Amino acid sequence: MPTSFFAAYSRTLFTLSAILLALIFAYGGWMEAIYPPLLGVFEWLENTWFGVIGKTWGAAFAFVEAVHLLGLAVLGGCVIASDGRLLGMVLTDFPVQSVVDRTHRVFVWALAALLATGIFMACGVATKIYYLPVYWFKMMALGSGMLFHFFIRKPLLQHDVNMLNPVVVKMVAIASILVWFMVAATGRWIGFSG
Amino acid sequence: MINELVYSIAVWLDDTQWSTMLHESYYMYNWVESTHVLTLMLSLGMLFLIDLRMLGYALPDMPASRLAERLNIPMLIGFTVMFITGILLFYAVPVRTSQSLWFRIKMVLLVACAVNAFLFHKQMNESAASWENEPRAPSRIRMGAILSLAFWSTIVVCGRFIAYDWFDCDTSPNTFIDVISGCVDGQIRF
Repeated sequence: MPTSFFAAYSRTLFTLSAILLALIFAYGGWMEAIYPPLLGVFEWLENTWFGVIGKTWGAAFAFVEAVHLLGLAVLGGCVIASDGRLLGMVLTDFPVQSVVDRTHRVFVWALAALLATGIFMACGVATKIYYLPVYWFKMMALGSGMLFHFFIRKPLLQHDVNMLNPVVVKMVAIASILVWFMVAATGRWIGFSG
Repeated sequence: MINELVYSIAVWLDDTQWSTMLHESYYMYNWVESTHVLTLMLSLGMLFLIDLRMLGYALPDMPASRLAERLNIPMLIGFTVMFITGILLFYAVPVRTSQSLWFRIKMVLLVACAVNAFLFHKQMNESAASWENEPRAPSRIRMGAILSLAFWSTIVVCGRFIAYDWFDCDTSPNTFIDVISGCVDGQIRF
């Protein structure tokens, strides 16, 4: 039944559609159409309170950068502990469901800290990052990571993990590690660009 | 006296061919620096989970000391990578780094972290049986976890501040900070 198929996999289909749209947006010519008007948004961001503080007080910007790194450390720790458990590499004598559920809570707080500090930092250098391709790669990786985590990984792992196909579980864990590593690596690369 | 010695050693390191090659190599230096930063996720990620567990904010229903024991191995792998890449970063820019106020604070805090970690594990191993499954560890252990979080957070802040030149020897007009930073009178290398 087509209806039940869409109902059963609605989140997965939504996520795949969003990623597909993002790819079409990036490589299908839409980017060129939307990119110039976005400059106004980035110029506005740089003139907000966050932007002015970030540009005026280097120490404040550097401090927020450090908090961003601390958030990254906690988020990375959750990903490694949780996905490492799914891969059978760490915490192997702990119940997999408990590890996944408990680390998810910390993951959400770390992600919130990363987003808050990331927005502040972006405001401070908005017109710089607007011209950096790696910034847009990072935003795509971040969007993909959040969609993947909340719409594919979490709903899947709400089921009894022992009843799921082990290959699927391991693929989800590897994909999760890769996507968050990509977010972190592209973020680091922004610092080397421009 | 000590500052002159540190400066001499730093200049000697700076004159070595490998230091110059590492510093001048755009990609290699960036790879080393990126590895140093990204390994935070492994080293501090594991450490913060352990500390937050002791405070009752993360994984509160899991056996505390067993969790710490299991996460110690990936954490130590992470710290080993950070230590090696950290030495390489210092080796690439020895004079400026050795005279950085933030680098010096970072080194002092690293020693404090090592002492705190030793005491933390000693106390945890001695008493874990009585509170292993409690959501929060006893106050002494919690104090160790708070110190660990505070020290390491400050280390990350200092590490980030090293990149900025606010108190460099060739820019800072403050005598007090110059002394703490180890600036040497008449130095010609920065």
